[in-house]
Amino acid sequence: MVEENNKLEQEHHEKPMSLLGLSVITGLFGGIFWSSIAYLAYVFKFTEIRPNVILEPWTIGDWKVGWLGTIISIIIIGMLSIGVALIYYFTLRKFNRMYIGIGYGLALFLIVFFVLNPIFPGIDPFKELSRNTIVTSICFYVLYGVFIGFSISYEESEIQKSKDSKQKEVRST
Amino acid sequence: MVQQSISKKMLPESLDTIEDYMKRNIGLGKSFDLGVRKLKILRKDIHIYYVNGLCDTQFIINLFEELVEINDHEKLSTNVFGIVENRLIHQSVNRIKSMDELVDQVLSGLIVVVVEGEREGLVVDVRSYPGRQPQEPDTEKVVRGARDGYTENIIVNTALTRRRIRDEKLRFEIMKIGERSKTDVAIGYIEDVADPDLVEIIKRELKSIETDGLTMGDKTVEEFMLKQGYNPFPLVRYSERPDVVSAHILEGHVVIFVDTSPSVMITPTTFFHHVQHAEEYRQSPTVGTFVRWVRFIGIFTSIFFLPLWFLFVLEPDLLPGRLAFIGPNETTNIPIIAQLFIADIGIEFLRMAAVHTPTSLSTAMGLIAAVLIGQIAIDVGLFVPEVILYVAVAGIGSFMTPSYELGIANKIVRLILLALVAIFHVPGYVIGVTLFILLLASIRSLNIPYFWPFLPFSPMAFLKILVRQSVPGSKLRPSITHSRNRYREPSNS
Repeated sequence: MVEENNKLEQEHHEKPMSLLGLSVITGLFGGIFWSSIAYLAYVFKFTEIRPNVILEPWTIGDWKVGWLGTIISIIIIGMLSIGVALIYYFTLRKFNRMYIGIGYGLALFLIVFFVLNPIFPGIDPFKELSRNTIVTSICFYVLYGVFIGFSISYEESEIQKSKDSKQKEVRST
Repeated sequence: MVQQSISKKMLPESLDTIEDYMKRNIGLGKSFDLGVRKLKILRKDIHIYYVNGLCDTQFIINLFEELVEINDHEKLSTNVFGIVENRLIHQSVNRIKSMDELVDQVLSGLIVVVVEGEREGLVVDVRSYPGRQPQEPDTEKVVRGARDGYTENIIVNTALTRRRIRDEKLRFEIMKIGERSKTDVAIGYIEDVADPDLVEIIKRELKSIETDGLTMGDKTVEEFMLKQGYNPFPLVRYSERPDVVSAHILEGHVVIFVDTSPSVMITPTTFFHHVQHAEEYRQSPTVGTFVRWVRFIGIFTSIFFLPLWFLFVLEPDLLPGRLAFIGPNETTNIPIIAQLFIADIGIEFLRMAAVHTPTSLSTAMGLIAAVLIGQIAIDVGLFVPEVILYVAVAGIGSFMTPSYELGIANKIVRLILLALVAIFHVPGYVIGVTLFILLLASIRSLNIPYFWPFLPFSPMAFLKILVRQSVPGSKLRPSITHSRNRYREPSNS
């Protein structure tokens, strides 16, 4: 630590990040950020679903519905989101189109609300959800999907571009 | 037809032919500001063409003195042209060969000296354009920091920039755009930093502009270059501060100067370039970060806050218990949505009025606006007090936006959101916000995603937006400019 502090500010170095690292961080940040916003939406009753539903399959103490439960849920969603980002990284990163991200988000929505629905008692069966909840959830999933998808695909296309231009330089010299 | 062939060809030997051409085509003798001065030097005729008011009379008198003295000091010679060239005591003397060049140069404010019997002319740069001194720009004031700003003169503007970057690789490439106006446009960049592709694209776009004139300066150039269409968001950042522009050049941006315009275009730009301000970099990083966050909150408020409040007015059930007091307590005859639109457009009235009102009257106008209209509108029962409060907060948020253009674009978004909420309530608001974010993310300015670094997400760059980092710590140029050299100088540390 002492050495660190003695270092001049000028000597700190920043390094460009690898795409895999970027995917992990994007996933973590995206999960935490959008679920926090989703919690706000829950507070203002835009949606009936709060982030805490992620804790519901487990029978743990009462704290899981309090503020501690909310924070822990948001962090857990962040962790799960890393996985979601990695799945995108391994399957779809070559498509540099925004609507691929939108589709990815919609697919996630369908999986969570139809396939995984029985796991979460907090989420009512689809037909019983209110219109506001459905619209808000779809919007969140779309934004989340674009956030993950567009970020990873854009970075991938940037890397490809710089590779191409390097090859061009090599050829021209 | 004869005239046309003259203009393309070399200068004619006879001075009379030139004068005749100038009289017929350029309006010599008709336009009062165009003139020719005839001298006789070593028994040869010399004509000097000029435009009144664009050149500096003092310099010209000095040059003439020197020319006339040739008659006293030199022997008769056949090489009058060489002697005259030698005696033109000015650092910037060029030879020209065609009639076209002669006309262009004279109309730009240079003087052209032609000698009887020679097929070349001499151009002397004695330009002195009417203009103002560098002043602090009104729109980008800082508490501390440089007080000079760009003026309407492109030469002064590039000079102000070069004063800050004395790099050998700094390039200003100039070109003339506009069939009739022949406006000077210069692009500035650092050769080994800026993305060569970007420079190439911008040059190509500039050269392909075909128009009569660029009398509205940079805005016209922007519309030609970026093909904005009806997208309200500003695709380039304008700045009138040389320090801001220089900082961007160092980051690898390419800037465009347009003569007669005091603002300089910075390309490529993203949304977040429009929400930063020079002031943040004149304070310590912590204070700068604080200032920036307050500004972000202001901008955020100006877009989302008013529609959200209106949503709560429509559906009070949405509010959690502790916030239940929000919402109008009185009832009026006019629906809230109409009040909001009237008040918001009223602020726009005030803004426009303030722009056109002379300073001496603006205090009086402010008084009328603030006290009379606001208060009396409530007393009469037209407005609920809360409407005035929230519209005012949103209005101030718009004015806080450092980029004037973005402020107005955000205002339009706010009004659209309001309309959506009025019609569709919660789904309208949520879908509206979602579409707004997707729209921002889908815009590309010179092939750069507009909402970078948030969407697509770039963690380090996003951190730099959230936290105003200390300058010594940031070694990396932002990746969005695709700079050739990612590390700031010196790169070895």
